[in-house]
Amino acid sequence: MRAPARIAVGYDGSPGSEAALRWAAALAGALEAAIKVVHAVGLLEHAGLASLSVHEDRARAIAAGAGVEPSRVEWCVLEGDPGSVLCRMAEGPDPPELIVVGTRRSLVHPGLLGSTSLGLVACAPVPVVVVPPADRAS
Amino acid sequence: MLILAGPVGEREHDGGSHPERPARIRAALDGVSDLRLGSDLVTVAARPAQRDDLLRVHDGEYLDELESFSRRGGGALDADTYVTDTSWDAAVRAAGAGLVAIEALESSGEGAAFVVVRPPGHHAQRDRGMGFCLLNNVAVAAAALVAKGARVLIVDWDVHHGNGTQEIFWDEPDVLYVSTHQWPLYPGTGRPEEIGGLDAIGTTLNVPVPPGATGDVLLQAMDEVAAPAVEAFGPDWVLVSCGFDAHRADPLAELALTSGDFAALARRTAAFARSPGRLVLFLEGGYDLQALRQSTAATLGALVGDLPPPEPPTFGGPGSEAVRSAARDRRRAIEELSDRLLAVDSLDAPVTERPRWGLGGAR
Ligand SMILES: [Zn+2]
Repeated sequence: MRAPARIAVGYDGSPGSEAALRWAAALAGALEAAIKVVHAVGLLEHAGLASLSVHEDRARAIAAGAGVEPSRVEWCVLEGDPGSVLCRMAEGPDPPELIVVGTRRSLVHPGLLGSTSLGLVACAPVPVVVVPPADRAS
Repeated sequence: MLILAGPVGEREHDGGSHPERPARIRAALDGVSDLRLGSDLVTVAARPAQRDDLLRVHDGEYLDELESFSRRGGGALDADTYVTDTSWDAAVRAAGAGLVAIEALESSGEGAAFVVVRPPGHHAQRDRGMGFCLLNNVAVAAAALVAKGARVLIVDWDVHHGNGTQEIFWDEPDVLYVSTHQWPLYPGTGRPEEIGGLDAIGTTLNVPVPPGATGDVLLQAMDEVAAPAVEAFGPDWVLVSCGFDAHRADPLAELALTSGDFAALARRTAAFARSPGRLVLFLEGGYDLQALRQSTAATLGALVGDLPPPEPPTFGGPGSEAVRSAARDRRRAIEELSDRLLAVDSLDAPVTERPRWGLGGAR
């Protein structure tokens, strides 16, 4: 196999998704791969009751900080839940070769993967990397 | 006769400025009062669903997590969904209200029931709350009916796709799940190609429609896509995920329905029931309080007493072609999956031992 040239990463501005974006950006920088930062629009955000404008600038800054050329960073906004949006993208035209997501702490058991990550792993036709939050990484 | 089950959530599960708020229940109850049904209205109180009722559709570990999270004060489940210290009790009573409604209809043998509860349910998956939903109220009721040997039709006209209900019954041949919803929109599932798992091919039916779609488009979906499937399925019970957020005034989506359109949808859906007293409507979304009140009155007024709706129905919006293409895409997906099944069955195993591929359910 060859190294992935197109990497998609789920990003919602949360600490978990920032850890995923940093990891994906570091990999993309090292491989000279293109990175697609995917933001899923939820119910409140769709209604203008939560903002998304800060996310794009922040995401581009993180990617640039990891050494990814700005022209290789694509910001992508889709309506839906992060899991379904990334699956849809992986099944669609021009799919990514690698998907990177963060994980949210489960309600009670901090060791469990969030079910978004698990659902994605079950459905995605390409490899999925689940990045732990920064405070759990060594 | 109208049976009103509930209310649940008139004060509990309060997220402050969140649009899924306690005042929604008062608006729905006002819509019921507007009908002046007198002795034709029977109110039955909700009772908490039993753990066994919930376990038919949810994982025990998720139930434990949710209860303990709520008892410790709660917090955010995701960017949309909150939990408070009263959420668990409200959610369990909301899930139980549907069971009470079914019992009341079984003993009356006539009329329809309206389950006036929140938090709503249709986004809640087996192991995860999301999209304002914690426990899947309509699924708890449907699973209880299936356990008693019934075949259940769920019609979901909430403007959002009911990904949780679809996931829960993905492989259940005794539940036909029919959804109309705006596309693209949260939660991003509900394409026409999503038709159910190998054990239940065709028992999931999705008709996505574009922003601006009017009532005639949703009626076309019911008549041209849903009706033939319902006819072939033959439901004993009809449950409705009755969200009113497809109303043109709703702040969360962009469909163009009026309360008059919900009246027409209600009549169509009632006609899917083979015998009287087998129709239960569950409140799901609907975030404009005036639209919620009017739509409640119009929907229930069409079912009991055939009262005129306060707003005329709507016509001429986009989406007619989307309905036709949904029918085509669905037919093609059913053919392809059936062919795959035939190919596998002819290889080795007896038909009763079908392999379960990880098709990913709702996702
Ligand atoms: Zn909704």
